[in-house]
Amino acid sequence: MNANVETYKKTINFNKNMISSYGTIFAGIAIILIFSLLSPGSFATLDNLINITRQISFLVIIAIGATLVMSVKEFDLSIGAMASLGGVVAAKSAASGLPLFLCILIPVIAGFLIGLINGAIITRFKVLSFVTTLAMGTIIGGFTFWFTGGATIFENIPASFKFIGQTNLGGIPLLSVIMFLIVISFWYVMSQTVLGRRFYAIGGNERASQVSGINIGKYKNIAFALSGMLAALTGALLASRLGSAHPTGGDGFFLNAYAAVFLGMTVVRSGVSNVIGTLFGAAIIGIMANGLTILEIPTFMQNVITGIIIIAALIIQKLGRDS
Amino acid sequence: MALLQIEQLTKQFGVNKALDSINLEIGQGEVHSLVGENGAGKSTLIKMLSGVYPPTSGTLFWKGNEVSFESPKDSKDIGINVIHQDRQLVSYFTGLENLYLNNPYPKKKMGLGIDWKAMYKAAQRLQDKWGMDIPLDIPVSKMTPSERTLLEILRAMMSDSNLLILDEPTASLTDKESELLFSFIERLKDQGVAIVYISHRLEEVIRLSDRVTVLTGGKLMATIERSQLTKENLIRYMTGGKEIKSTRLPKMQEHQEVLLQAKELRSVDGSIKNVNFELRKGEILGIYGLAGSGRTECMEAIYGLRKIADGEIYFKNELRSKPTPGSSIKQGIVLIPENRHEDALIMDNTIMENMTLPILSKLTKNGVMQKKSELSLVQKEMARFKVKAVNVNQPVSELSGGNQQKVVFAKALMSNPLVYICDEPTQAVDIMTRADIHLFLKEQASEGKGVIFVSSDLHEILEISDRIIIFSEGETVAELVNDNLNPNDILDICYLNQKEAVQG
Repeated sequence: MNANVETYKKTINFNKNMISSYGTIFAGIAIILIFSLLSPGSFATLDNLINITRQISFLVIIAIGATLVMSVKEFDLSIGAMASLGGVVAAKSAASGLPLFLCILIPVIAGFLIGLINGAIITRFKVLSFVTTLAMGTIIGGFTFWFTGGATIFENIPASFKFIGQTNLGGIPLLSVIMFLIVISFWYVMSQTVLGRRFYAIGGNERASQVSGINIGKYKNIAFALSGMLAALTGALLASRLGSAHPTGGDGFFLNAYAAVFLGMTVVRSGVSNVIGTLFGAAIIGIMANGLTILEIPTFMQNVITGIIIIAALIIQKLGRDS
Repeated sequence: MALLQIEQLTKQFGVNKALDSINLEIGQGEVHSLVGENGAGKSTLIKMLSGVYPPTSGTLFWKGNEVSFESPKDSKDIGINVIHQDRQLVSYFTGLENLYLNNPYPKKKMGLGIDWKAMYKAAQRLQDKWGMDIPLDIPVSKMTPSERTLLEILRAMMSDSNLLILDEPTASLTDKESELLFSFIERLKDQGVAIVYISHRLEEVIRLSDRVTVLTGGKLMATIERSQLTKENLIRYMTGGKEIKSTRLPKMQEHQEVLLQAKELRSVDGSIKNVNFELRKGEILGIYGLAGSGRTECMEAIYGLRKIADGEIYFKNELRSKPTPGSSIKQGIVLIPENRHEDALIMDNTIMENMTLPILSKLTKNGVMQKKSELSLVQKEMARFKVKAVNVNQPVSELSGGNQQKVVFAKALMSNPLVYICDEPTQAVDIMTRADIHLFLKEQASEGKGVIFVSSDLHEILEISDRIIIFSEGETVAELVNDNLNPNDILDICYLNQKEAVQG
C-alpha cells in the first residue's frame, strides 16, 4: 500500500504537475546562479546567505499570517497597517520603560484582538473580507497616526529593546532563529494538526465543511486572529531591529507578503497556500532584493523585476495545471 | 398548418436516450402543456426547441419549412422564446433596462448617447398593447415575483414572439399572481401566439391547455385533447399505468422506539410550513414530494443548515432547540446531502481527507493528527464499501460518481450515527452502486438505526421504504405504510393536495 502511495505521488508530480510543482524552485535556483555569476565575491558568500535570512525574516513572519487566512479562502489586507501599529506600540512601550517581553507581548495581543474583530465582522455579517480588512487597515493607520502624531518614535528607547533585533547567536541572527521557529511551528500546525486540516477543508469547500459539522466562523476567526498577531509581531521585531518605529513603517510589507504567498502556492501543493511555499516565495523576493542591491540596480528597477518574476511564476503555474 | 411540427425528434447522451422519437404538433394560438416526472425529458425538449442542444436525429418544421438551429439566436430569430424557471433578469437594472437587455438601445441623433425617452415610449406602447402595467422605472430587485415573470414575457414580446415556452412560470407565484399570468396567457393566445406550458401543477395545466403531452422516461406517452383532460387521466399516463411490486422487506416491528420526531416545523424562509413526522428505530422512512415541496429544505432544517421559526425537533425524546451540523453529528444524526459536489465532498482533497472530516477530533492526541490510525480506519472503510481508487490519497474529483457517493457514505458511517438522512442518495450513480447503497441502508436499519430516504424517484421510494411520508407545498400531507401501494396512489395525493395547500 505504501509503495502504491509513493508511485502514485511520483506519477502525478512527474507527469502532470512537473512545471507547476518545480517551476518556482527552478526559477529560484536560476536566480541564485545568475547572481552568483554576476557578483561571486559578494553574493555567493556564507555571510551574505546569513544576511539574507535575517533580511527576509520580517517578510516570512507576516506572510505566514497571510498564508493562514488564505487557506480559508479569505484575505487580510490589514496586515501592513497592523505591522506599523505593532512597531509603534512596541517602541512606545520601550520608551516608557516597560521590560522587553512586555514590549513584544503588548503589540502581539493587540494584533490578535484586532484580528478577532476582523474575523467577527466578516463571519457574523457575512461581508467580504477583502473590503472589510482594507477598511480595518485604514482605521488602524488612522489610530497609529493619532498615537504618534505622525512622527517616528526613537527617543528614550533603551538599548535593551534592540536585543532581539540585533543579537547574533554564534554568528546567526536571533531574528533568523525566530523566523525558523515560527516557520516550523506553523508548518506543523498546518500539516499535522486538526486545526490545519480544518483550515484546508474550509478553503476547499466551505459548504461541505459546514455540512461535516465544522464551525466555519470559529476557524475563520482563529485564522484572522493569528494573522493579526503575526503582523503585529513583525512590526515589533522590525522596531527592535531599527531601534525606532515609523507610523507607516510596516505598510510596505503588505503587497510583498501576498506576493510571497502567491509564489508559494506555485510550490509544494499547487494552488493551495502553504507555509513552506510561502517561505520559498519570501526567499525569492528577498534574494532578488539582496542580489539586485549588490549589483547596484536602483530600487525602482528592482520593483519592476520582482513584479515581472511574480507574474511569470503565476503564468507558469497556470500553464502547468492546464496541461 | 401547424406552427411547429416535431418529427421523430431524438436526443441521445452517451448510451442514454433522453428523448426518444418524439412527434408533436403545436398550432397557432394553442396552449400546449408538457407534463411528466423529473427526468421525463421536458427540459431536453425545450433545450432543443430553443437551440441549446442540437438533436441527435429528427426534424423540426416551422410553418411548414424545415428548420435547424445552430444556436439559441437562430431559434429566437424565427420567434421562439423561452421564459426560464430561474429568471434571466439583471436584478439591479430597472424594468426598462431589462427590456432592452438583448435588444439594441435606441440612440440619440448623431449616435451620441441613449435615447431614454424613445425607449420609455416604445416600452409603454408595448405595455398598452398587452394590457400590462409593470412599473418599469424601478429595479427588478424591488418587483414582485409575478411582475418579474410578466416582465420577462414582455421582453420576449419585444421581438414579436410566435411561440413562447413557459417553464414552471408559477413555481414562485401566489394564487393571485398566477391569475394575472393566466389572464395574460389568454390574451397572448387570442393574438395567435402559441404557448408551450410546463408545470407540475395539474390544476393549472387542465385549466389552461388545449392539449397536453405526457412524457415518461424520454418517451411520449400520449397527447390528450381538451375534451379528455382530467386529472385521473393525466396521472394514469404519467405513471405509465404500471404497477410496481415492492420487494418484500422484513415486517416493521410495531411500537419501536421513536428516534427522530418533527412537530409542526416551520422554517424562517417559509420553504417549510408545517412538517410532522416520526422516524422509528429500524425503519426506512421514504419521503416523497414534487419539486418545490420542501423535502430537501426540511432535511436541512432538521440537520441544522436552515433556520427554524416554529415547531420542535426531538431526538430520542429530547428537544433539539437550536440544531447545528456539529451538534447533529455529535448526537448521531448525519446528512447525505442532495448535491454531492457542492455540499458533501471537497473535490480537490483526497479520499482520506474527505472521509475523516467529521471525526477529525477523534483521531487526535492533543490536537495532533494520528495519521496511522486515520489511515487504517479509512482503508477499512474503503474495503467495506469497495471504493475503486488508486489509494486513499487520490483526490475524489478523479473518482466516478458511484465511487464518490461511496466515499460520502463511508464518511457518514465514520461518526457512527443512529439516524441517516439521505437526500437523493442514488442520484447519478450506476446501478451497481445504487444496489450497494440500498443494501447498506437496509443493513443499517436492521441493526436498529433509522433511515430517512428522500427521493424524487417514486419507484425507488416504493422499493425501499417501510413507510412513506408525502410532502406538498412545504407540508407533510400524508403518511402511508408501504403495503401494496402503487405509484398512482402517491401521485394522486401529491396533486390533490397541491391546490388546497396553495389556497391555504
